[in-house]
Amino acid sequence: MTTCIKIAHLFPELLNLYADQGNLAVLAKRAMLRDIEVSITQVKLGSQLDLASIDLIMLGGGSDREQAVVGKELLRYKADLQEAVDAGLPILAVCGGYQLLGSYYELANKERIQGLSLLDFATIAGPNRLIGNIAIEWLQADGSPTGKTIVGFENHGGRTHHNYPALGRVLQGHGNNGEDHFEGIQYKGIVATYIHGPLLPKNPHIADHLLQKALRYRGFFEPLSVLDDELAFMAHNAMLNRLGVSMMMKEK
Amino acid sequence: MVFKRQRIRSTSYLALWFGKLVYFLLRVAGKQGTSLPGWLLWRIRPSLLQELLQQLDQCVLVTGTNGKTTTTALIHAMLDNTKDPWITNRGGANLIQGVLAALLQHVSMSGRLLAKNAVLEVDEATFPHVMTRVSPTLLVVTNILRDQLDRYGEVDQALTLIRQGILLHPESQVIVNADDPLSASLGIDRELTYFYGMSVTPHHDPNRVEVRDGAFCLRCGHELQYEGFIYGQMGYYACPSCGFARPTPHFTGVHDDVKKNLQVTETMHQAESEVYSFYAPMFGIYNWYNLLSAIAVVRVLGSSPRILQDRLKNYEAPTGRMQTFPGSPQKILTLIKNPTGANSVLRAIESDAEQKSICFTINDDDADGRDVSWLWDIDLESFVTHTICQTYYCAGTRALDMALRLTYAGIRRDQVEVIDSLEKIDLVTKKAQGKVYILSTYTALYKLAAQFHEAQRSKAVQRS
Repeated sequence: MTTCIKIAHLFPELLNLYADQGNLAVLAKRAMLRDIEVSITQVKLGSQLDLASIDLIMLGGGSDREQAVVGKELLRYKADLQEAVDAGLPILAVCGGYQLLGSYYELANKERIQGLSLLDFATIAGPNRLIGNIAIEWLQADGSPTGKTIVGFENHGGRTHHNYPALGRVLQGHGNNGEDHFEGIQYKGIVATYIHGPLLPKNPHIADHLLQKALRYRGFFEPLSVLDDELAFMAHNAMLNRLGVSMMMKEK
Repeated sequence: MVFKRQRIRSTSYLALWFGKLVYFLLRVAGKQGTSLPGWLLWRIRPSLLQELLQQLDQCVLVTGTNGKTTTTALIHAMLDNTKDPWITNRGGANLIQGVLAALLQHVSMSGRLLAKNAVLEVDEATFPHVMTRVSPTLLVVTNILRDQLDRYGEVDQALTLIRQGILLHPESQVIVNADDPLSASLGIDRELTYFYGMSVTPHHDPNRVEVRDGAFCLRCGHELQYEGFIYGQMGYYACPSCGFARPTPHFTGVHDDVKKNLQVTETMHQAESEVYSFYAPMFGIYNWYNLLSAIAVVRVLGSSPRILQDRLKNYEAPTGRMQTFPGSPQKILTLIKNPTGANSVLRAIESDAEQKSICFTINDDDADGRDVSWLWDIDLESFVTHTICQTYYCAGTRALDMALRLTYAGIRRDQVEVIDSLEKIDLVTKKAQGKVYILSTYTALYKLAAQFHEAQRSKAVQRS
């Protein structure tokens, strides 16, 4: 039996501001190199979302206006999505997609973009945008260090505060809110983050982490074979160097 | 006739002389002086912009997101002559300081503009500043494509800024791209407006995934239906819901990339159509658009096609707009700054069947866009299935990001070569067979152009 997973890319026509198709290209290629079949379904506005057949959801970022449209559209699926999240459905949510998982995103004019309330947190617009290259230390779900880093670019006006395990600890950059030095969320199958660039090309370990989650969700438990990621880690380390954090990791 | 001031206000003299002095000193120091004097003047005497612009008899403005520099250079090449010189801001110096610096070079010490015509390239964000200070004779909008900075709705904003500017001057003639639904929306139901568009066989290539920003109707929000795409969101479109559709162009172009010919059918004055042809050494559909819009501009201003054809022979591509450096290998330097622009450059390279390599030079300074996510929106997947390149070189501060992007597009790792400094590009690419296309972001572009010029000069010196 061939190993096969299904990825749903939600509303690519609206949530494509941060080149999230790059994340999908990376997932598909890395699966293909291991003889895992991948099918990617683009779920567009107005079309049906069949959650039962999906093993991984990609929810990208869009402008505030587009985010509001998506939030409204997805509300129809709220109950199904909640059930799937509780059952451990892997979701990669980036930037606007991250904010949509919470209950709302409050804009500077106090207007609220409704989220899906799949998780219990909210985002509030700050006085300025948090923009720039970012490096974080990837944490285990229990908060202990993995010894691995994640690099990318962030550009968000929203400040997110939550009580879930963070994806990582900020080494350089802003993260969730620029205050508590945490970045993102990892909870059950969810990986939510402000880091794009896109996220996965230069962080192949996160790509594999997501693939492994999707495979397990589908009922395949074999470990993933190791790929040649020399170039990806050269690019990864070049960014660490530039941000002056590689030394910090070595000292640990 | 409105009374026109023939010189600047007396209170502006000091600022003017200071600006001219700075310009003079920069020239003596061997600098180009394209922006610093203008920047200083804008700081110390902002009213000078208006005082100079208002002395113009004819003022042509070129705005839009892509193609401004080439279009401006083409218009200038066709209009400028010794008897009747035209002022222009070269090299993409399209902010206020660039406009001021260009004007400054043509002002006498007594504050009089010595040339009375100008064709000025104006950045979308600068456009409102210029429009509140001058009533342009004519204004051309090249297109409104997604820019590298468009990470939070700036396409919407560019469109709004241009629309507001146009509303200030119902008396100005406006020329817009009919094939681009975003630009076309600026001219629908407006008097004194001319459209230009291409007539090409529409293609439907399901393998091409490009970012299409205008894919939704601006009037009612419905998804637009296309009979065919030309590039980006440009094509033959109509809204099935409200009836918004591609306007019939007054200037229709048919281009021949092999014969380097553009045939234009003009129906400006309803009665009869006029057909004429232009030879121009360009390639890439987007450059034919630039030429077509430039021709529309000079025709609306009343020049005869024959004179234009003659003057076009003197046209030289501006820095980094498919600028050719002869040699072995031949190098062709071109700017890329966003996915749509990069895709159209790649399409042009696809049409070149000769042996070739590509060198991507990707920097991430402020002027380039610090976020390089857009590299993943370039449709390289379709490029590699349509053409063969010998080697893919990658340079610039984000060389490794680009290299990684290429390998994910299906290019073998051993075909990708990372060059660790801009200075080494010339040397490393020496071994390339055939041409080398150098696709560079903004901050590397001028450094590379200067290097390649210098290499040519030293070679010429050696020979003599």
